[in-house]
Amino acid sequence: MAATANSAPMSVKTGVAPLRAGQGYSFLLRRLHSLTGIIPVGAFLFEHILISNAAAIGGPTAYARQVRFLASLPLVPLLELFGIWIPILFHALYGFYIWYRGETNVGDYPWTGNWMYTAQRWTGIVAFAYILWHTWTMRFTGIDLHEYAGASFGKVQAELMSPALLGFYAVGLISASWHFAYGIWLFAAKWGLTTGEAARQRFLKVCLAFFLVMSGVGVASLYTMRARFPQQPTDAAGAQVVEEAKPGASQ
Amino acid sequence: MAKSVIIKIKRQADPKASSHWEEFELPYKPGMNVISCLMDIAADPVTRDGKKTTPITYDSNCLEEVCGSCAMLINGRARMACSALVDQLEQPIKLEPFSKFPVVRDLATDRSVIFENLKAVKAWVPIDGTYDLGSGPRMTAEEQEAAYPLSRCISCCCCMEVCPQFNQDTGFVGAATISQVRLFNTHPTGAALKRERLAALMGDGGIQECGYAQNCVEICPKDIPLTKSISEVGGAVMKQAIGDLFRK
Repeated sequence: MAATANSAPMSVKTGVAPLRAGQGYSFLLRRLHSLTGIIPVGAFLFEHILISNAAAIGGPTAYARQVRFLASLPLVPLLELFGIWIPILFHALYGFYIWYRGETNVGDYPWTGNWMYTAQRWTGIVAFAYILWHTWTMRFTGIDLHEYAGASFGKVQAELMSPALLGFYAVGLISASWHFAYGIWLFAAKWGLTTGEAARQRFLKVCLAFFLVMSGVGVASLYTMRARFPQQPTDAAGAQVVEEAKPGASQ
Repeated sequence: MAKSVIIKIKRQADPKASSHWEEFELPYKPGMNVISCLMDIAADPVTRDGKKTTPITYDSNCLEEVCGSCAMLINGRARMACSALVDQLEQPIKLEPFSKFPVVRDLATDRSVIFENLKAVKAWVPIDGTYDLGSGPRMTAEEQEAAYPLSRCISCCCCMEVCPQFNQDTGFVGAATISQVRLFNTHPTGAALKRERLAALMGDGGIQECGYAQNCVEICPKDIPLTKSISEVGGAVMKQAIGDLFRK
């Protein structure tokens, strides 16, 4: 190799720096980023789509009771802060930093893994944009669903009536599901859980199946709210009625 | 009509000069490869439009894909020039130096960063001493079979060139070095430095920068299972990092 013979000063001046053994905190931050994607952010997404949203398929009252149960958990503000807001913000912002430092090259090397690398970044930013808007309209503005759990179904329905917002919900749901499912696969590969090629291929099928289940349940709950029930109340008095109705009784 | 070979080469006179393209036309010979084309140009360095020029500078040595010297971008892809057969390449053949390593001149790049990285992870078997250490422990056939593919690494840096995470912002160490950590950590005598090697990979630019795009394993001319190495070493690094939280 050129220039290695007269070693030190000439080498590695403008190119990529060599490994900085023993220096910096990027290992901790990068692994924390990887971990937060699974717990708590991924675990929350799992609960949100496969438990809570799935409850909406059972109708407004079933959904209201699920929201009431979540709102009645102890120390909800702290759970939200440390279990959801801070981890999501860290995962997203550090994720942007990771994206900024990478050099996507699918044009030159259009291989599946490389496309997935790029897709992981785009699904991340789409999911984050969706999450910002979704938490703003559902959690921080409008009727407080922790207090009036019965208004949950109606509040989401009101948004889903707009075709543009329905599309945004679907895109956000599918992006987040993909980002999480492929993220689990990446986690297993990077943390040394699936080290062999065959094991990674097998686990990829598991993660793809998980993506299909997650986005399928999500789409089913969107369909339920948009098409199977008339507009439910979004005010305090109506919320009371919804919450106290017998589950399954038509509103 | 005699067949000919058209080659376009990105040239650069010295590390600071700007680059320009030159086009050459060579008489076709059976079995030509990119290095033999560069040799033919050196024998008569005249461009396609008849201008006299200088021979192309490039690194090469073994001409049988075991030394790792002649890596360059051929039709936009990182590969070894000696094993790039003209019959299998689309023409005009486009030759460029690696894009992520400082250009020395023409197609010759300074890839000494991999040597620095291998030193940083102590990629050797520590047997130097003041007395004869005797023969080492025996490796089982199974261990040998796992280690041999890793030992085929020729430090060509193709895996680093194609890696989206290998760039000046990250200073990522690259797949080759991580795979060498696996090779020397699984060697019964080399394992003496196992902890130091894994600790080195936790530094900035270490294994954490891997984004698992898997280009490395696709491009590797020696078919080294680089992603398996990254996963194995990634697991070992994590185990040591978590263990050290309690042990240190």
